[in-house]
Amino acid sequence: MNFTFQVASFNTFMIYFGHRIDPQVSKEVQKAYRALKNARLIGVLEIIPSYASLMVSYDVLTQNYDSLCKRVEEIIMMARPIDEAEQKTVSIPSYYHPEVGLDLETVAEEKNLSIDAIIALHVNQSYNVYAVGFAPGFAYLGELNEALASPRLANPRKSIPKGSVSIADRQTAVYPTQSPGGWKILGRTPIAMFDTAYEGLSLLHVGDLVRFEAISRAEFLKLGGIL
Amino acid sequence: MNGLKILNGGLQSSIQDAGRIGVSDIGLTQSGAMDELAFGYVQMLLGNAFNTATVEIALGGLSFEVKGKVCIALGGADMGCTINGKPVSMWETYNLIEGDTLSFGFASHGHFAYMGVVGGFQTPKSYGSFSTSIKESLGGVEGRKLMAGDFLACKPSQLKDKRYLKKEFIPNYDEEVHLRLVLGYQEALFDEVQKETFFNTVYTYKGEGDRMGYRLSGEKVVPKVNGILSEAICYGAVQIPIHGEPIVLLKERQTIGGYPKIGSVICTDCFKLAQVKAGGKVRFRVISQEEAQAEAQAFYRFFRF
Repeated sequence: MNFTFQVASFNTFMIYFGHRIDPQVSKEVQKAYRALKNARLIGVLEIIPSYASLMVSYDVLTQNYDSLCKRVEEIIMMARPIDEAEQKTVSIPSYYHPEVGLDLETVAEEKNLSIDAIIALHVNQSYNVYAVGFAPGFAYLGELNEALASPRLANPRKSIPKGSVSIADRQTAVYPTQSPGGWKILGRTPIAMFDTAYEGLSLLHVGDLVRFEAISRAEFLKLGGIL
Repeated sequence: MNGLKILNGGLQSSIQDAGRIGVSDIGLTQSGAMDELAFGYVQMLLGNAFNTATVEIALGGLSFEVKGKVCIALGGADMGCTINGKPVSMWETYNLIEGDTLSFGFASHGHFAYMGVVGGFQTPKSYGSFSTSIKESLGGVEGRKLMAGDFLACKPSQLKDKRYLKKEFIPNYDEEVHLRLVLGYQEALFDEVQKETFFNTVYTYKGEGDRMGYRLSGEKVVPKVNGILSEAICYGAVQIPIHGEPIVLLKERQTIGGYPKIGSVICTDCFKLAQVKAGGKVRFRVISQEEAQAEAQAFYRFFRF
């Protein structure tokens, strides 16, 4: 797979592996991300993966652009491919009901489907974690079944409850904390997306696989969910 | 307990250091001092390491009473500081003793002031940094701005000799700021005409900004596309959404976003931008990646010795 370097700032560059959402491109990003993280290069401050790119920023006193790019290129060329068997699958329990899924009825009407059919479309597949960002522990998951794809709200909400399971276009995500946002909400999970108790602080990391599991109101409450 | 008892937190005062590094890949913002130049001088006056927990005061209003003995240094925007009611100057150290009070008025020039103490404030670290991120409720005092009743502990200190910053080093916050920018990212999404407009416009900062970034008003520069595939955003990135007004992303920027970016402002000019008050003028100028890197190296060599 080809990749290209592009200057982003005085101490930052981008590595592009492609320019679209594609599981194969994402695998290349993950492979490079893992290899670079493991290399623990001195003076590398941040390595941030996204759908098709990696951003690398460095300390200008211990690294410089030309030699770091060369070293990074070598590491990526030598990186071991991602073995699908190694991919961690994380299950996220979700209570789907209009009392927490504030847009569930709207999406059902928009798609001319029953609420149960909407839920089935959301739970009957696994998702790739393409990126973590925007807010701590916010994981961009894709790709959503095309039959469920729905644009963002025209007027974003000022406050989306913590744990909201939401969709936007062909992406899905869980809001880790209460925050403003424009994604449509289908349900709510009782589990934390971001916690100091988690290894690496975030429940989800780039490269993980995710499945949503529908739970009842009673199970949601038993797991510590807040209505 | 030795330290400062906060009497009034002011508009937005918070503990900041050089920022939270190495956790952006799980979505945590960098945070840290908005103006590392004033912040750095404060550390230098006190003999502190560059990366030391310091109070950042936005616009003003902070006041406190001293418990024990504390040597402080003031830097950044002049907010008409008084010690026990008497006006004092910025860019100096002051030995304060039990019962002394210090009050900040409001900034007439510049936006952020820094107040440090010998050895720094002893607030807890969060993910490797003392910096407060109010939107993420992290760091500093319970992840929030300072409030009346807070106590900032520090070690007892008095400096034998008073220290000043030499006059020629004191920044002038009233000048038009030239933001030197390294082209990059989605430069190709802006045609030659748009780029010419971008570099020929004198932009006004109308106060539409916060620790996340500053939006600038002036001639519109419209990218060829509405959005791009979401990707990581670096410090100083100039994002231009379809409304055509550049937004310079600063310390508390979101880690990932999907708006086209023409390039990124060099760190030393981002520090100057942070001090621009509403109504201030800025313009962009292009700089090569090599020059930008050399400039940043010179800055950090000076402060991190």
